[in-house]
Amino acid sequence: MSQILTAQNVNKKFGNFQALKDVNISIDKGKIVGLIGPNGAGKTTLLKSVLGLDSCDGDLRVLGIDPFKKRDELMKEICFIADVAVLPKWIKVSQLLSFTEDTHPNFSIEQAKAFLKKTKVNMDHKVKELSKGMTAQLHLAIVMSIDAKLLVLDEPTLGLDILFRKQFYDNLLNDYFDNERTIIITTHQVEEIEHILTDVVFIREGEIVLDANMEELNESYFEVMVSQENYQEALNHKPLTIRKVFGKHIMLFKSSSRDVIETLGDVQRPSVSDLFVALMQEEEA
Amino acid sequence: MKTFKALLIREYWEHRGAFLKTPLIIGIVMSVILILFYLTTDRFAMKMSGGELADFGAKSLDSVDPAKIQFGIDVFMLGSASLYHFVLFFILFFYMLGSLYDDRKDGSILFWKSLPISDTQTVLSKLVTATIVTPLIFVAGVIVSHLLFFVVLSLILLLFGINPFTVLWANVNYINNWGAFTVGCLMQALWLLPVYGWFLFASSFSKRRPFLIAVFVPVMFGFIWYWYNALVNFNMLQAGVFKTIGIYLARGFSPFTSGLEFSAESVDFDATEQTGSEVIVSMMNGFSNPDLYYGAVFGIIMTAVAIYVRRFRNTT
Repeated sequence: MSQILTAQNVNKKFGNFQALKDVNISIDKGKIVGLIGPNGAGKTTLLKSVLGLDSCDGDLRVLGIDPFKKRDELMKEICFIADVAVLPKWIKVSQLLSFTEDTHPNFSIEQAKAFLKKTKVNMDHKVKELSKGMTAQLHLAIVMSIDAKLLVLDEPTLGLDILFRKQFYDNLLNDYFDNERTIIITTHQVEEIEHILTDVVFIREGEIVLDANMEELNESYFEVMVSQENYQEALNHKPLTIRKVFGKHIMLFKSSSRDVIETLGDVQRPSVSDLFVALMQEEEA
Repeated sequence: MKTFKALLIREYWEHRGAFLKTPLIIGIVMSVILILFYLTTDRFAMKMSGGELADFGAKSLDSVDPAKIQFGIDVFMLGSASLYHFVLFFILFFYMLGSLYDDRKDGSILFWKSLPISDTQTVLSKLVTATIVTPLIFVAGVIVSHLLFFVVLSLILLLFGINPFTVLWANVNYINNWGAFTVGCLMQALWLLPVYGWFLFASSFSKRRPFLIAVFVPVMFGFIWYWYNALVNFNMLQAGVFKTIGIYLARGFSPFTSGLEFSAESVDFDATEQTGSEVIVSMMNGFSNPDLYYGAVFGIIMTAVAIYVRRFRNTT
């Protein structure tokens, strides 16, 4: 099965508030998908439905399973880190590992211990005695020792310093990810993960506004440094955004071909965060 | 099965202080009180009569009818066991109120739910901890506490030159009294099943304070029922809600008397004069009382609702 996740016309309402509007996406095996959206856009709502933590309307299948109905079955094949601070505070590291081993058929305690050997986390520590960064390392060690088909990370590095964040994603890429696995990540620190993503999904007010892989993005969105003489002509091509940096105009274009755009100035690959800002503004206008 | 066992062990890890230490601390306190009692009595006797009085009193124990000594020990063992039932209820009250709420409050529910464990298993593990695991720990705690108390008492008897084996250890009805506590725990769990189910629901449902739902909702409901009957039906005496809750709580607080009738005609006024075996037989009467089964059905329904709510309530 190459499709890990399919959503067809998924809707979710809280009272009068429509948190998800006709969400249609499908995610294939071997992808690293960034789910990106402003606060309150419905990222967490969507992930909660995917993880079986809440119900939704429409047809949502993860590994062919309805998540809300059979969460316990689904959790054998997928795992998630919802936040850095969700490990129970009172438990000892050794207890946490042995509990996970007893309850999870695809967890390897030896592997988790091997990961933890490289950190300062001690088996006799209680979680509340660990620093935030160490707690994240512990959680990552557990998650990486689970042989899962899908890993969902919801703001996994919130509140960690830059060293831990970098190490977190390095570990994830080098020690965990392979083409048999799929990862979905949401984060506000888009710049830190954009180089590892294969696909991006932008969500805004409950709607998917962009669902593309990185190559498609690079072929249809261009960032151009426009010099003063080309300014008027560039405006004719309807840039999505214009920024002024050191007297030059940096414009973002959506175009089917690179040829015309190239005549306007130096063409660069836009960063995901710039693209995100542009698309969010476009929708508002 | 392996998962369920792991869940029960997790509950034990988290609440070891309350479940294991409490019964042992009560036992230690009882023994310390006994030592203090001995020390004050001893000093008092020394001051009054140079110790002769105490010696005389102690010596006369040899000639006391063993039946009376047995009765005294029974009263002590059943009385202290009754205290353990009471303490057990309070520990479980706070345990259950937090059981489906604390992990939502600190967010750790998101970790627990990332494991392949169904919500049914999770909630049932809490109920089994309250009705079986913790009472069994308390049974062990009572036995250890009584033995500790008897060892201390034996040392005191030895100081007076009395043979503790003939006076004390030979007169203890171990099986009847500890059996009464064990059966008492079972009956307590059964009588309190509706209460436990309600606590699980309150804990699972509450967004802020499970205590308020657990306690004030029934109280409010009882008052509304009372005033409705008083004002609309002109029937002041039909305080059915409080009476019902009261009966279950009373039986759960003190399972030793749970087999007794509450109506005035059939009350056994000599309830304390029962021996361990009589208490066991009396408690077993509960099985022929339909109230026990009504309560159990309510408890099971509330547990099912708690499981249902647990499926989608992940935060506070």
